[in-house]
Amino acid sequence: MGRLPIVFAALLLATPALAHTGEGTGGFLAGLAHPVFGPDHVVAMIAVGLWGAFLGQPAIFLLPIVFPLVMAFGGVLGILGAPLPAVETGIASSAIVLGVMVALAARPPLWIAAVLVGAFAIFHGYAHGRELPDGANAVAFSAGFVIATGLLHLTGIAFGLLTRWPAGRLAVRGAGGVVALVGLAYLGGLA
Amino acid sequence: MTAFLGGLIQFFIPTHLLAVAALGLLAGQHARPTRADMPGMLIAGLVIGSAAIALAMRETPAASVLLVLAAIAASVVVVARPTPPSIGVLLAFGIGVALPLNAPPHEITIPAAIAAQIGFAVAALATFVLVTVVAMQATRPWQRIGVRIVGSWIAASAILVLALRLAR
Repeated sequence: MGRLPIVFAALLLATPALAHTGEGTGGFLAGLAHPVFGPDHVVAMIAVGLWGAFLGQPAIFLLPIVFPLVMAFGGVLGILGAPLPAVETGIASSAIVLGVMVALAARPPLWIAAVLVGAFAIFHGYAHGRELPDGANAVAFSAGFVIATGLLHLTGIAFGLLTRWPAGRLAVRGAGGVVALVGLAYLGGLA
Repeated sequence: MTAFLGGLIQFFIPTHLLAVAALGLLAGQHARPTRADMPGMLIAGLVIGSAAIALAMRETPAASVLLVLAAIAASVVVVARPTPPSIGVLLAFGIGVALPLNAPPHEITIPAAIAAQIGFAVAALATFVLVTVVAMQATRPWQRIGVRIVGSWIAASAILVLALRLAR
């Protein structure tokens, strides 16, 4: 009971950081923290999980399985230095589009959802691939940031399970709206 | 004893853990025909890999081989379809051979080097058995999806680091 305020206080004291800063630190914890401290990345990953809740089975389970693999493909493109235009715009757009999909409780055919999410996964993976540190800790860093991304999906899915109740459905759609607004802020250069 | 513990600790680096965890998930996920021969082939690979260290005159690409095999094993876990038993056996043998080659012992005397290799093999086998048993317990649908999700994380991590190795 008494620990909760301390946890929140610690969260407030944490130094804000953005993803894709280009820092070349290695290690599992650095990889774990890398996507978590980038708001644009966080909201988009959570939105993938939230949307999965509206899409239902099998999408809700397929997305967190497929996303890391497609993201890795994007990461490979980034590592190899393949040209991919407007990466940050693509990431901000992913938050907007996915947020709007959640807000509208959209249920397109699975293949359309998969193509959309897969395309955005490439942008996210590309950005991380460009910043993957070389050296002995590359494996630990990669595992850390892939796991962090997966856990963000699972967080979104867990929150998305609230859609079983009318009030929860409203809350999830509202969260989708917030995700879209965060994406807009990034796209407009306000964040 | 010190050499044994040194070898045991030498196993616990991310590349080894990725490869053995992927292999363990594969063994735990699949039914008996695929699973049965994998521990034996892993042990055979570890023995051959340990013996091959004496012949390895220069640095081997064992780390990259381990990442490739980890990515393949994890991808098979992600797909979660029945696979020929030979795939699991080959992966177990390949990972078994590559593991010791990626971590040659630093001991000066032959008995100490052998003790270190035994410690290394014990750590590898214990990790393999642990992951296999955990994956075997995953019988409910959501648990089996969890195994596939972990498989996708391993595959993604291995693919990223492989690309990094090839590019830089």
